[in-house]
Amino acid sequence: MGDIEGSPGSSMHGVTGREPVLAFSVASPMVPTDPTAKFDLPVDSEHKAKVFKLFSFANPHMRTFHLSWISFFTCFVSTFAAAPLVPIIRDNLNLTKGDVGNAGVASVSGSIFSRLVMGAVCDLLGPRYGCAFVIMLTAPTVFCMSFVADASGYIAVRFMIGFSLATFVTCQYWMSTMFNGKIIGTVNGTAAGWGNMGGGATQLLMPLLYDVIQRAGATPFTAWRIAFFIPGWLHVIMGILVLTLGQDLPDGNLGALQKKGDVSKDKFSKVFWYAITNYRTWIFVLLYGYSMGVELSTDNVIAEYFFDRFDLKLQTAGIIAATFGMANLLARPFGGYASDVAARRFGMRGRLWTLWILQTLGGVFCIFLGRSNSLPIAVTMMIFFSVGAQAACGATFGIIPFISRRSLGIISGMTGAGGNFGSGLTQLLFFTSSQISTAMGLTYMGIMIVACTMPVTLVHFPQWGSMFLPPSRDVIKGSEEHYYVSEWTEDEKQKGMHQGSVKFAENSRSERGRRVASAPTPPYATPNHA
Amino acid sequence: MASSRILFVVSILLCSFAMHSCYASELFSNLKKSILVTSSAKHGQVLKSGEANITVTWSFNKTFPAGADSTYKTVKVKLCYAPISQKDRGWRKTKDELKKDRTCQHKIVKRKYEASKNSVTWTIERDIPKATYFVRVYVFNAEDKEVAYGQTTNTAKKTNLFEVEAITGRHASLDIASVCFSVFSIVSLAGFFYLEKRKGSSQQK
Repeated sequence: MGDIEGSPGSSMHGVTGREPVLAFSVASPMVPTDPTAKFDLPVDSEHKAKVFKLFSFANPHMRTFHLSWISFFTCFVSTFAAAPLVPIIRDNLNLTKGDVGNAGVASVSGSIFSRLVMGAVCDLLGPRYGCAFVIMLTAPTVFCMSFVADASGYIAVRFMIGFSLATFVTCQYWMSTMFNGKIIGTVNGTAAGWGNMGGGATQLLMPLLYDVIQRAGATPFTAWRIAFFIPGWLHVIMGILVLTLGQDLPDGNLGALQKKGDVSKDKFSKVFWYAITNYRTWIFVLLYGYSMGVELSTDNVIAEYFFDRFDLKLQTAGIIAATFGMANLLARPFGGYASDVAARRFGMRGRLWTLWILQTLGGVFCIFLGRSNSLPIAVTMMIFFSVGAQAACGATFGIIPFISRRSLGIISGMTGAGGNFGSGLTQLLFFTSSQISTAMGLTYMGIMIVACTMPVTLVHFPQWGSMFLPPSRDVIKGSEEHYYVSEWTEDEKQKGMHQGSVKFAENSRSERGRRVASAPTPPYATPNHA
Repeated sequence: MASSRILFVVSILLCSFAMHSCYASELFSNLKKSILVTSSAKHGQVLKSGEANITVTWSFNKTFPAGADSTYKTVKVKLCYAPISQKDRGWRKTKDELKKDRTCQHKIVKRKYEASKNSVTWTIERDIPKATYFVRVYVFNAEDKEVAYGQTTNTAKKTNLFEVEAITGRHASLDIASVCFSVFSIVSLAGFFYLEKRKGSSQQK
C-alpha cells in the first residue's frame, strides 16, 4: 500500500488537502470503522480514534489527548515561570539587562536540541516514556531555582528548564498514534495551541503565588523561590499521571506489544535530503521564527515591560501579560480556519496570502505596541499583535503538510526548531543590550517581523502558483503528482514506495481552489509508471 | 477594511500623544537644594540588610533666605541608587522628570517638615537589594508636589556612597526540600521504568 509504518513523517500521512483544519470526526465510508474493537470511540483498522470528542476522558484516546496537552502546558508554565517575576529576581540576584536578556535566550535555546533528540526517543521508548522522561527529569531543574545565587546560575537553570519543551514532540507523536490521519490536523493543532497557553497562564499564576507566599510571611527574595516549587510539583504530578494512566498505543504499551508485519522504514538520509534541498523548508523555518519565535520572546519580556513602563503592580503586569499567551486558545485555531476558508476559494495562493496578511499585521501591531505611551493603547495593540502572530502560527501549519509528503515529519520538526531559534535571535538582538530600551526593542522586533515575512512571496508551487505568479500551464510540470512523486527515485518507484505520495497528490487537488473542476486529467492515473 | 482599521488606530495613537503632553511634571533640576543631609554611613561602608542600621539627620540650610521654607509641609527620606548600580539597569534610570525618575525606589521614612534638626534611625530592610546607595530627602508642599531636596552625596554622586549587603533569600530548609523532591522525581521515574521492564520480560517468558 505504500504507507510505511513508523517512518519519519508517517504521523501526518493520510492528511490530504480535503479535510478542514477544524475536522472533528471522519465519517465511515471514507475510513471504515472496525466493528470488533471495544473502545468508547469509533476507531479505524489501526484502532485509532475517528472522532475527536473534546470533553471526554475516555481511555485511551481522549485520555491520552488530555494527558498530553496538559504535560506540554506544564512545561510551558515552568519555562516561562521566571518571566513575570523578573522585577524581583533581578534585584535579588543583582542582574543587569544583559543577564536578563541572556536568560531569556537560554530558556528557548535548550529545546532546539531536546526536540530533535525526542523524535528518536519516541521511536525507541514510545511517546509515553518520552514524555515522562522529559517532564520528570526536568523537575529537578525547576526545583534548582531555590539554589540560584547569581546571574550565571540563573541563566544555567533557565537553560535546563527549557529542555522540557521537547514535550511538544511527544505530544504530537502521541496524538498521531491515537487519532486517525484525517482528523490529526485538528487534534494536533488544538493540543499545540492549548499547550502554548501555558506561557500565558504562568504570567498570571506566578505573581499570584508570589503574592500569597509573601502575605504568609516570606520576604520577597525568598517568596519567589518558594513560588517555583509549584511548577516543580506539577512536573512530578503530570509525570506520574502519564506513567500510570497513559499508554503508548490504543491497544497497550510499546514494550508489551509485538511489532506487526514487515516494517520497512524509509531511509532517514533520504528523508532528510529531500527536506533540506526543498527551498520552501528554509523559508518556513525563517517565517515560523517570526510568528512562534516572537510569541516566545514576548512571553519572556512583556510582563517586565508593563511593570517598568507603566508602573504597574506585579500582579497587574502579570494579568496583562497573560492575555497575550492565553489568546492562543482561539487565535491559533482561527489562523488555521482562515487558511482553510481562503483555500476553498483561492487554493494554495489563498493560504499564502492569508499567512502573509496575518503575520505582517502582527508585525505592524508589534511596532505600535512599542510606540504606545498610554496603557490602554498598549494593551489593545498587544492583543492585536498576539492574534496576528498566533493566527500566523496556525496558518503556517495549514501550508506545511503540502511542502513535502515524504519529509513532512522532518520539515515540521525543522520549522518548530526555527521558531525557537528565531526567538533566541530576537531576544539577543533587541532585548539584551542596555543601549536599546524594551520599547525600542519591541518596535525593532515588529519591523523585523514585517521584513522576515516578505520571503513568503517567494514560495511557489508549480501546480498551484505563488502569491504573485499563477501555476505552471505545463500539463506535466503543473500537476500535483509531478511535484510529490519527484521526491522518489526510479528505483524506489519500482518498489512502489511512492504510492502514498500519488494518493496524496490526487487528494491535494483541492489546493487549486475553485479551479478543481477544470483540472485536466494528469498522465499519472495508472499506479506503475516507468 | 484593514486600512480603515489602521487609520482608526493611528488616530487614537495621535490623540493619546497629544493628551500626554498636557500633563507637565515636576523636574528635578527645578528643585532647590535647601536641605542639609548627613548619614551615619561612611564612604565605602558595607551594611548588612536586616541587621545594620543607618541614622539620617536633616535640617533646613540656614544660608537660604528665611521665608524660603514657608511652603514646606512634608518630608520623605529615601534610599537612592548610586550611578554604579544604575549601569546596565534601565529600571533604575535617573530622569529629570520626577514622575519618571527611578533613582530613589526605597522609602526610609515620611515625616512632617521641621526646620530644626531631624533624625531617624532605620534598620536596612530585608528586601533592599545588593547595591551602592546614598540618601536623599525630598520636601513636599501642601499639594504633595516636590519643592526642595537634600542628599548625602555631592552633585556628581561620587562621595559618601555606602553599600548594602543583601540577604540571598536562600534557606537551608528550601534547599533540603528541593533536593528531596528532585530525588523523588528521579527515583519514581526509574522505579516505574524498572518495574515495567521486569513485568514485560516476565510476561514474555
